[in-house]
Amino acid sequence: MLIVDDEESITRTMQMMFEERGFRVQTASSCSQALENLRNGYQYDAVITDLNMEAPDIGLEVARAAKRVRPAPVVVVCTGYANLNNARLALDMHIDYLATKPVDLDQLFTAVDRLLERRRDLPSSSARPRTGRRQNHPSGPHSSGSERQD
Amino acid sequence: MAVKSSAEKRKYSRERKALVVHRDMQAMMNYQTQLSAAGFVPIIARDLGTALLAMTQHYFELGIISAELGEAGDGWALGGVLRMVFPRAYVAVLAPATTVETLQMAINSGVTQVFEASKQPDEIVSAIFQELTPTHGVVQ
Repeated sequence: MLIVDDEESITRTMQMMFEERGFRVQTASSCSQALENLRNGYQYDAVITDLNMEAPDIGLEVARAAKRVRPAPVVVVCTGYANLNNARLALDMHIDYLATKPVDLDQLFTAVDRLLERRRDLPSSSARPRTGRRQNHPSGPHSSGSERQD
Repeated sequence: MAVKSSAEKRKYSRERKALVVHRDMQAMMNYQTQLSAAGFVPIIARDLGTALLAMTQHYFELGIISAELGEAGDGWALGGVLRMVFPRAYVAVLAPATTVETLQMAINSGVTQVFEASKQPDEIVSAIFQELTPTHGVVQ
């Protein structure tokens, strides 16, 4: 999973929460960093991005780039500044989920889980093994910090 | 019941079906006319139960659903279900107004597009057909 936000406290919190739920998480603090990750061939099952970072609504660029990746990850946009324009653009880009800040993490977890399950059931992605969530081994070490995806 | 010939079966299997769910009979008939003219077989329902029944009996490539059926907002849930059952379908929801909340509801329900219910059916169907791609409804 890739989490993109220019506020470090948010990326750290979300990284911690998603890792607790068994996800391997990478973070990016800007749109350009996220785009670089996406161009470098990292494969994510989910990309969660803030909307306003270096520039207003630039998170849509991350979302657009993520939507072009095959197999396409689940794309979630989180924003405190949703308006008619950016929400319309997000709908037209077929963003999978739009969360408004302050984000209700339980709702976000539920949505991401549901969307990942649905994606797994789609015929076009059925051959793809699920890699976004690692197996939890109670006795094994938990990953810390960013991890490179296979 | 007469047994269909192979040719007939092929014809029926190629029919593209659209589900129209609206409680206003006049609006529903307008959509029916527009969709028929565009080559779709419209299946109509006025309530959630009938719509769900129709979903068990037909394969839909397109859905046009009023956001308000039995009660305010239940059309969104139906739109989400339609998309879950037919993941490649184009699902349009007709909302009373376009607001940030309705757009967010559209995204989070998984519907493809939201239109203002006050627009004329021909405008809406025309807009849908501009967006409709060959992959909508096609299982890959």
